[in-house]
Amino acid sequence: MIIDVNTYIGHWPFRQVLDSTPEGLINLMDKSGIDMACVSNLNAIFYRNVQDGNEELAYQIGADKEFKDRLIPFAIINPLYPGWKKDFIHCIDDLGMKGLELYPTYHQYNLTHENAVELLNMAAERGIPVHLPCAIENIRQRHWMDTKEDITAESVAQVLSLCPNTDFIITNGPTSTIAGKLATLSKNRQGKVLYDFCRIDLLYFNFDNFVKSVGADNVVFGSVMPLQYVDTQFAKLYFSKISNEDKEKIMYKNLKELLKL
Amino acid sequence: MDLFKKNKVVNWHEHVWFKPGTRELNVEQCDQLVQYASEVGMDILVCSLPIAGGMPTPEDIKLCNDAVYQAMKRHPKVIKGLAFINPGYTREALDEIDRCINELGMIGVKLYNHYFASDPVVRPIIEKCIDLDIPMLWHAGKLTVNPESQPFLSNGEHFAKVAQAYPEAVILHGHIGGGGDWQWSLKAMADYPNIFTDISGSVHDTRIMETTYKMMGADRMLFATDGSFASGIGKILGADIPEEDKIKILNNPRFERYLERGMK
Repeated sequence: MIIDVNTYIGHWPFRQVLDSTPEGLINLMDKSGIDMACVSNLNAIFYRNVQDGNEELAYQIGADKEFKDRLIPFAIINPLYPGWKKDFIHCIDDLGMKGLELYPTYHQYNLTHENAVELLNMAAERGIPVHLPCAIENIRQRHWMDTKEDITAESVAQVLSLCPNTDFIITNGPTSTIAGKLATLSKNRQGKVLYDFCRIDLLYFNFDNFVKSVGADNVVFGSVMPLQYVDTQFAKLYFSKISNEDKEKIMYKNLKELLKL
Repeated sequence: MDLFKKNKVVNWHEHVWFKPGTRELNVEQCDQLVQYASEVGMDILVCSLPIAGGMPTPEDIKLCNDAVYQAMKRHPKVIKGLAFINPGYTREALDEIDRCINELGMIGVKLYNHYFASDPVVRPIIEKCIDLDIPMLWHAGKLTVNPESQPFLSNGEHFAKVAQAYPEAVILHGHIGGGGDWQWSLKAMADYPNIFTDISGSVHDTRIMETTYKMMGADRMLFATDGSFASGIGKILGADIPEEDKIKILNNPRFERYLERGMK
């Protein structure tokens, strides 16, 4: 079984991306043997009122039983926009969303902003994990209208102690470096900090060393479909020398436990 | 992974490096590179050792190429060398190309970001490569964020100018996935048949392979990794292009003649 923590539907404004509908995503998942995927709506990032994007996501997933069974919706919330608290509660309680996803560099706030901290603590109270994608596309190719910043280890470090019970999933960034910087801060917290290995290569045992240093219990599978080729992530698992037991944790068990699936 | 196991795989963009704090080949890292390549099914690694920053002197450059030569001797069946040069030292650069190709058995030239490919200072180098019938692999990319970090980084537009002036030159755009606006470079280069691109780099955006294939064709694409093995493998496996063309990219027949030369 494989559960992918980082996928999207919706329109990416800066280059043509195919398969960005629930149906397209399911097709990609079928081609690569992925059973379930956490998914958010790219539109939500770019709408002034992000909640419209969350509603779209819920509506589209709700339209088909297979989508409902295999796509796990994550709500994107902008904690600086009016109504964010109500939107978050609605997404979780009424729309059945299983996670919260934040884009502070797109919505231009610090994770330590009081609203963000309140949101992160609300997530913890409801047992909702928080997904922090460091980026969407590689920074060196950003469109002139795209953000020029990524989420950094420093920005996460500042918020870890303010939200000691919140579970974080950090993806699509230099997670090896970030995990190293957060190692001490992550200890003695109630909440977990999980990482994907999207940008870690297999050469020179980089992937295996990452799993060893972070612990297989704290690594999850994230592809960034449909924006990136998923095969890159499979190559790492295929050539890795970590145990099958650890691979299973990474491929699905850790997320299954976190999301209570 | 059968594609890699069943076909000859030539990786046209890899590096060996100095041991930290020295000017000697990092032997352990070099051996690991070869071991990894073998495990994932790569048969040939075309390697260089460039100096990215500053303005390397002819003495610096010789040490780089000597280290590559050592790697070639250490793994003669796997490692082929490219001669790193700095076009700013014209006479020494031309001599170094002679030394590397004719004495050390390297098979091409590696240029970095010290000058734009279209800078007149590069012309003698291009002409030398034409005379010797060897390819030039360029560190390349169109950075849209922080371009001042590499002010003389060549992109597709620079190579198009070179190709126009020297249609007989063999220009290899390094790492189309190496960061930067790959669509920019592809559009700029598409119409010049003597420009090729390797597919290396950590960027594995969907459509990067299909777009390169559509605009340049498999005949002008070469498999490579430049330190990002998983991305290189993932791009080839994930690309929606015919298998026969993937096999061609893995060992581009138009570049085979270079591999037959050099140190045996």
